[in-house]
Amino acid sequence: MNIYYAILVHVVWFLSTYFVVVFMLALFYNRKKLYDSPEFRKNDKLPKISIIVPAYNEEESIADCIKSLKLIDYPKSLFEVIIVNDGSIDRTADIVREHTGKNIILVDNSKNKGKAKSLNQGISLAKGSYIACMDADTIVPSDILRKTLPYFKDEKVGSVTVSVEVRSAKNFLQRIIRLEYILGLSLFLKIFSLFNCVHVTPGPFSVYRKRLLDKIGYFDPENITEDLEIAYRIHKSGYKIANCMSTAVHTVTPHDMKGLYRQRRRWYSGALLTLWQHKDILAKNKTGLFGYFIPFNYALIASGLGLFVFSTYLLFSNIFRNLSYYSLTNYNFFSNMTFDFDLLAVSMFLFFGLSGILGMILLVTYSLGIARSSLERKPSLYFGYFILFFMYQAFWLASFFIVLMRRKVRW
Amino acid sequence: MVIKKNIFVYAAVITVLLLASIYSLNFYLNSQRENAVVGRMEEILDEYQEIQALSLMNDVFGGNITCLSLENTLSYMDKTLWDTGVKIDRYREATEQFSIDPFYQEQKRKFNRNEVVYFSMLKSMKEQCNFNQTVILYFYKKKEDCPDCDAQAFVLTDLNKEIDPEIALFSFDSNLDLASVRTLGLFYNITDFPCIVVEEDTYCGLKNKNQVADILCRYREHSICQ
Repeated sequence: MNIYYAILVHVVWFLSTYFVVVFMLALFYNRKKLYDSPEFRKNDKLPKISIIVPAYNEEESIADCIKSLKLIDYPKSLFEVIIVNDGSIDRTADIVREHTGKNIILVDNSKNKGKAKSLNQGISLAKGSYIACMDADTIVPSDILRKTLPYFKDEKVGSVTVSVEVRSAKNFLQRIIRLEYILGLSLFLKIFSLFNCVHVTPGPFSVYRKRLLDKIGYFDPENITEDLEIAYRIHKSGYKIANCMSTAVHTVTPHDMKGLYRQRRRWYSGALLTLWQHKDILAKNKTGLFGYFIPFNYALIASGLGLFVFSTYLLFSNIFRNLSYYSLTNYNFFSNMTFDFDLLAVSMFLFFGLSGILGMILLVTYSLGIARSSLERKPSLYFGYFILFFMYQAFWLASFFIVLMRRKVRW
Repeated sequence: MVIKKNIFVYAAVITVLLLASIYSLNFYLNSQRENAVVGRMEEILDEYQEIQALSLMNDVFGGNITCLSLENTLSYMDKTLWDTGVKIDRYREATEQFSIDPFYQEQKRKFNRNEVVYFSMLKSMKEQCNFNQTVILYFYKKKEDCPDCDAQAFVLTDLNKEIDPEIALFSFDSNLDLASVRTLGLFYNITDFPCIVVEEDTYCGLKNKNQVADILCRYREHSICQ
């Protein structure tokens, strides 16, 4: 018996189960209202909005992005698109130039400044009372502004996020990530918004109140996850982040493990650095539930990682020990193998593990049942999702290491 | 859409109930394990009484009348004993992941005492009935005191599965500090752990399967001897 392992199992089980149960209850109580969103009334004055699109070497996707922006159902005089070419060395600027016009403006920077600085440059030129920031590899639906802007009728709303879905998932990895986005960047954010705990305004598409941005400053150019960092400042300034599930943007995802690792390394390292940057909310919480949600979330991540490391160590030490035993019996693998399952020899750890896995399956299945998605629910996707979940633990570890070693993470 | 604050209370209650149900299931399995071990020990005691009866008959009536029955009973017994020992250890491991249970310590003591009794009986009957099983005694201590003991048990389990009818294997836990086991240890000059005694000769230190087979083959022809 290892008392530390037993304590860790209890802590992780309790925190994760509590989290899942709160989530499921919130989902259950609000299941019929998740896709409801406020609307403009006939006599409402439509506000002016500026859409900022920073682009760096986006020659393959920028045209589709602009085409989708042109199809937005909103008076052309009331929205402008500012595309900031961030020193691309490909044909991005030329492609954008083909589309520029009255409400599509190109800002052509010769040098690469980074996403946050490009966004800030665009915001400083914007004339709208609301600012939508989006990625150049994202496609928006035509109703995006009519669905999101009415949320700002609530003066406490500082930002509105939308569902983010995967555009053309071709391989198995992308299909798993599609499942992950449907949950993590759509449904989960919606539920978090019910608690006023949205911790990120996703880069693919989020709308901000310009007055709020002027108050809190624009995006932090030093932060590699500027969309995460600004969410902390929005909460600190007393504003809410709303989520709109009735419309969704589509974005591209990494198509291989290397790309996925690079993306998650940036996300997770950025999340840790942002937490450090805003550590004051841990000591003195003035952000309501968000101030409890963040420490709870990171306590769960940290203890989960501890359990992952401990379990991996135990697993491999058992494998090595058994191999060393088998070396004594000339690797006679079959003689000591017993195929009779004895339920009584099962330890309590297995029940904790099984209940955790069952809880996750239940959460994913129930969430997908509620989400309006055309995703095929194949068992292989579930399996892949769980494998990916364990891989993310390794990515988190790598990110911890990077942050501790003060290594530079780039886009 | 508004979230009611009591959702956190409901969630806490549900989580605690789930935890309680896992604990209840574990308590139930613990009691089932204990019942299984007690049941096995009772079976062993029944068999002992049978062996004692046969042994007494042998003394009174003499001859080989009872030897055949005795040999069958003893052969079944040594397999049951080893399996029971392994089972107690597995159940103990499963139970004690979270807390120490004195039940297993007590059962292990009873079990070791029974083994000493059985071994003594076998030793006295062996010559009378001309049994040709090779007797192996295995002395061990807990992992902290003897890092190689688990490995030695693994080797002996492997061997026992392969040539079960040809050997009678007894394991003695020296951490239990039983006077009978201590006396056996002194008698066989057990100085180090793990230690095996084959036909009255002592071999201490970890032995792999080939080495144990070599030792066994010095005393009798076994199916594993080349």
